[in-house]
Amino acid sequence: MNVHMKSVGAARYVGERTPRKEYGRLLTGRGQFTDDVRVPGMLHVAFVRSAVARGRILGIDTAAARDMPGVQAVYTQADLAAVPVTFQTFFFTPAEAPVTLLADGRVACVGDPVAMVIAESRAQAEDAAALVEVAIEEETPVVTIADARTGPLVHPDRDDNIAAEMGDEDSREAVQPLLDGAAHVVTMRVRHQRIAQSPMETRACLASPEGENEMTVWLGCQSPHLAARYIAQVMGLPQEAIRVIAKDVGGGFGLKNIPWKEEMAVIAAAKLLRRPVKWIEDRFEALTASSHAREQDVTLTVGFDGDARLQAAWCDYACNNGAWPMGEDANVAVHMFMWPCYKMPAYGFVTRGWYTNTMGLGAYRGPWAMESLVRETLLDKAARRIGIDPVELRRRNLLYLTDQPHTSTLGVPVEDITPGECLEKLVANVDFAAFRREQAEARKAGRYLGIGVATYVEPTGAAGSMAPMTGETVHLRVEPTGKVVAMLSTHSQGHGTATTMAQVIAEQLGVAYEDVAVYEGDSAIGAFGPGAAGSRQGVIAGGATWRAAQLLSEKVKQVAAHLTNASVEAITIEGGIVHVAGAPEMSRSLREIAEIAYGEPGRLPEGAPTGLEAQYRYQPPPMTMTSAAHCCIVEVDAETGFVKILRWISAEDCGTVINPGVVEGQIAGGLAQAIGQVLLEDMPYDARGNPLAATFKDYLMPTISDVPDFEYLHASTPSQTIGGMRGVGEGGCIIGPPTLVNAIADALSPFGEIEELVLPLTPARILDVIEQRDVSGTRAPAAEAKSAAPIVEEAPLVEAAPVASSSIDGDWAMVLKTPMGPQEMVGHFDTVGATVSGYLEAPEGRQEFSGGTLAGSQLRFEMKVEKPMKITLKYDLLFEGDAVSGKCKMGMFGSAKVTGTRA
Amino acid sequence: MKPAPFDYVRPSSVAEACRILDEAGGGATVIAGGQTLMPLLNLRMSQPFILVDINGIAALKGVARVEGGIRVGPATRQADALRDETLARHLPAFTRALGHVGHHQTRNRGTIGGSIALGEPAAEMPATAVALGASIEIASVRGTRQVPADAFYVGPYMTVLEPDELVTGIVYPDWPQGHLVLFREVAQRPGDFALVGLVGALALEGGAISRAGIAWFGMGPTPVRARQAEAALLGAERARIDPHAIARAAVADTAPFDDHHASAEYRRTVGQRVFARALSETLDLRSAA
Amino acid sequence: MSEHRIELTVNGNRHIARVEARTSLGEFLRDTLGYTGTHLACEHGVCGACTVMVDGDAMRSCLTLAVQADGAAVTTVEGLAQADGTLHPVQQALRDNFGLQCGFCTPGVAITMAAVTRDNEGADSGAMEEGLTQAMSGHICRCTGYQGIRRAIRQLAGVSA
Repeated sequence: MNVHMKSVGAARYVGERTPRKEYGRLLTGRGQFTDDVRVPGMLHVAFVRSAVARGRILGIDTAAARDMPGVQAVYTQADLAAVPVTFQTFFFTPAEAPVTLLADGRVACVGDPVAMVIAESRAQAEDAAALVEVAIEEETPVVTIADARTGPLVHPDRDDNIAAEMGDEDSREAVQPLLDGAAHVVTMRVRHQRIAQSPMETRACLASPEGENEMTVWLGCQSPHLAARYIAQVMGLPQEAIRVIAKDVGGGFGLKNIPWKEEMAVIAAAKLLRRPVKWIEDRFEALTASSHAREQDVTLTVGFDGDARLQAAWCDYACNNGAWPMGEDANVAVHMFMWPCYKMPAYGFVTRGWYTNTMGLGAYRGPWAMESLVRETLLDKAARRIGIDPVELRRRNLLYLTDQPHTSTLGVPVEDITPGECLEKLVANVDFAAFRREQAEARKAGRYLGIGVATYVEPTGAAGSMAPMTGETVHLRVEPTGKVVAMLSTHSQGHGTATTMAQVIAEQLGVAYEDVAVYEGDSAIGAFGPGAAGSRQGVIAGGATWRAAQLLSEKVKQVAAHLTNASVEAITIEGGIVHVAGAPEMSRSLREIAEIAYGEPGRLPEGAPTGLEAQYRYQPPPMTMTSAAHCCIVEVDAETGFVKILRWISAEDCGTVINPGVVEGQIAGGLAQAIGQVLLEDMPYDARGNPLAATFKDYLMPTISDVPDFEYLHASTPSQTIGGMRGVGEGGCIIGPPTLVNAIADALSPFGEIEELVLPLTPARILDVIEQRDVSGTRAPAAEAKSAAPIVEEAPLVEAAPVASSSIDGDWAMVLKTPMGPQEMVGHFDTVGATVSGYLEAPEGRQEFSGGTLAGSQLRFEMKVEKPMKITLKYDLLFEGDAVSGKCKMGMFGSAKVTGTRA
Repeated sequence: MKPAPFDYVRPSSVAEACRILDEAGGGATVIAGGQTLMPLLNLRMSQPFILVDINGIAALKGVARVEGGIRVGPATRQADALRDETLARHLPAFTRALGHVGHHQTRNRGTIGGSIALGEPAAEMPATAVALGASIEIASVRGTRQVPADAFYVGPYMTVLEPDELVTGIVYPDWPQGHLVLFREVAQRPGDFALVGLVGALALEGGAISRAGIAWFGMGPTPVRARQAEAALLGAERARIDPHAIARAAVADTAPFDDHHASAEYRRTVGQRVFARALSETLDLRSAA
Repeated sequence: MSEHRIELTVNGNRHIARVEARTSLGEFLRDTLGYTGTHLACEHGVCGACTVMVDGDAMRSCLTLAVQADGAAVTTVEGLAQADGTLHPVQQALRDNFGLQCGFCTPGVAITMAAVTRDNEGADSGAMEEGLTQAMSGHICRCTGYQGIRRAIRQLAGVSA
């Protein structure tokens, strides 16, 4: 099926390397980034930040700062409290950590904003900020995941440092016998470093109050719509009050998903001061005080049978959430997407996020990417251990189209993924046998070449399963001039949505690409959509424009048919000219039709609306899967431990490719970030909680010399969405790291295994493997940290003293900790003997259950839900007096903690 | 990231510059290219009262043959020095090392004197000055003095330069025609400071080493002169040199440090290796020619 | 804190202004003169986004003081295209090869490419490609993985890809 097949002769735009619409302004210095916007009377902000990782604020003296030239205000949290802000996560659930605009009595990380100075220039604001005196009683900080398990509480009002927790130690019982019986058991531990997302444009915010509540906010963000909704919601304002404009944004990568402490503080300050206030984050702040990403410690154990087929797996995942995560996160997506592309019979996991006194966790391109990294590096390690080719090992275990539909062990349904087909395409285009010969020859000469392969699938275009992931609306019209205008809620931080959407419209409508203008980047344009988040815009907005253009085409045809007394079927539109089959003399330009449609309503069909407009909101399938197989070839210099990447080939299947230049640009950008993660980038903290890479001299970003030429093989199996696209924004950053690590491990295999993968693989860490000793100094402190950090296990569900069964009857105020945040609900139970029925009630509605069983004080019941997906929730609760605790197994989402008290 | 306020003066002579530095009583900082100073100013890690811009002093610019050597004016742009034929012909080690300093864009403004006076221990130009036996000309209202490069550096970013003093020239002694260049830099990206680096010159006479000057960068708190290696090389017949033994001697003089880019052990291990390789390649290249 | 009168040209336009000593050339170009095409992205000389030409040489406008540009001829990205809008060859090459995504680093990239192609005018393809690639190591781009930039370099050098 070719979903974009068109009538013969029509201009093809989908699939073309069309130069981007945004280039005109971006290449000539006429883009409009937030710092380029000036508003009369605009003031500038500098933040006073904590130099201490953990402590109690004894006093803040702002007197000297207030007296400085140009200073208009100096605010602390005591001042900003006049503008109430209740922080939420990206999922619009309440932030669980006590996030405030500025530090409220305590500081929880170095860089925590404590005060803000507002002055006539940034330099003056910094002059004054340097004079704000903050007295802090310093306390021992909790810096690492190991510290968090045993150390003092990061947030004193919490029970422990577990920010989020999912999964189930019990599931290990199911998996362990399978592992015990496996022919081969292989374990991989990955310690992923902390990443600074580092978009080239730092965070930026200009808030201009225009009335009691009304405000225009120019913001570096990934979706003006999402940002406007977020700002209004956390400030308790009507959404219409907030207009967010973000014409050009210099990269986001997840960091700019939602406005966070500083941006909200600027907005609150503007409201308080009733003046336009601008804050442009500097690079020092961006590296040390923007949210960070990754920092995970993961161990995966996999059992294989004698034929190297997957039998079972167990994973223990921990992630440093920092002090103020932009959403507490145990990253259950790592586990959901660990195995859908493989035939894996049994999988169990426990997964936790930990609070520490470090900068908070934010999103970064493919936030769940660890699944591919730990799985694919383990598979290569297993292949070496078992003595089988890594490609062959994957062939035996991957899902091919002929194996589908299939449901993963955690319940993820897959029906059209092509990781196996991508791998075959890769193998057909890369001569592996020739490489092995070259590798053997090179080794004789003391040169160490390696080849790495990785395969994966990625969920893209999510819509309808969780807030704020929704469909997309397009408003489309032919202007009286015959030109076409589209109004979209897409947002480009380099994604080129104005280009790809124009290509779709031009092709579907039959007009020239140059005659299509796309407006986006303003919350006043289009309808709600979350913008660039989760590789979704090409899929969903692409489908929306595809259909909207068809609808508009139908309208044009109806008007033209009426004007020419022809049938609608006889009308075609091509190159902006409306043709009548068999009557070339009747051809008219779109402009002529449009002029009539707008200006001469009397000539339109009876009852037809004037103008030429169409609108469509596309709700795609809940999830669309993208698959890929990548391969890279490296040479490792055994003298210095340096890695040179010689070749990199991508075979990806992102369905319909609207613009190969844009698609390849997304893959390449992700791969460059992958190379940075594997070889260069690192944001370490010292034991006092100080971030150590405060400039680009220390935080090593990949440069042109670090990135090879990438080669692309597009598999292009259309998806089930309108247009057949699959998302491609994050893939390179997900599959890139294991591909490169596998190539390095292959090159190092004559020396030994990378037993434990500690990123980045600095030259020193590579020498650790080559020389089989601790050249890098990595092992010593790691072992220390490990021994000093016994895992604090969750208290087991002990049988408490039996309580009378009737005592659980009635209402309970309960909280279910879901992956998207805590869900508050009321549980109502009625017991008859040992059988329990009742309901759970949340703002979204009430769900009844029956057939529950009560054994002593332990209640078990099941409940089938349709939203966000069809899953069965299995509750297992223990009642103790007026308290209830326990867990809820939520199918593929793993287990979630339940707590509550009698209502 | 804006500098704290300062006054700016642009003297037109060394005497005027020295007078300003003297009157500032330690509150003045000299700016030439500013490629290292400006980041420190922007980060407020350096907060002078007065910035003394020496770009207007013609006497501080240019490359000239002098008695027994070549004098490089401290305000000479790195890009100009890199294109200078006198330096390329007579001091190829200088030109080779300079090509690794910063990037095209920073070399267009950065100066030789700036790099020398800053004293970054992992930078190329201080080590090159030490290796080649350069001396640093210094002026102040108190007079002038000359300090050998290997006595100029006392610690990371610390030199013997007093607050009222100005570097007025770097004089590199002549090396015999046809001397050999020893150079290797191990850095993660182009333009980065070295994880480990070495630079030097070797002169041969009648098949034996007649003169050796070698220094490490990134291998200690200052550029480190490989004295033991120099001593071992001096007078040695080329054919009988054991590069590995010399490399061991060279590393014995270093005091490398741990940072988050590399461990001291990495620096020692790789330093010894690249030293041995550079030495054998340099000597083999000569015999091949 | 001293203030200074400076006179310079930017893209051929004459400007006379008073500047605080501490104001960087980049900040002055953007905030005082309105040449916002020059982007300040790290203010410590590593990323290259702020690169402008001063008297023909590409350099960091964050590491030069405005007062030091007194008497200079400055070229920013706004000055590359011809008056009739015809793109400079480096802009055209970046356009033809998807050499940018978000566009934030692009003004500096284009300036360096323009300066280096001019410096290497008449050089053979290999030298031109080498010169441009070396100079490009002084720029950080977070979006493109440098693929389009490298293709643009090859186009400018006349090297087939």
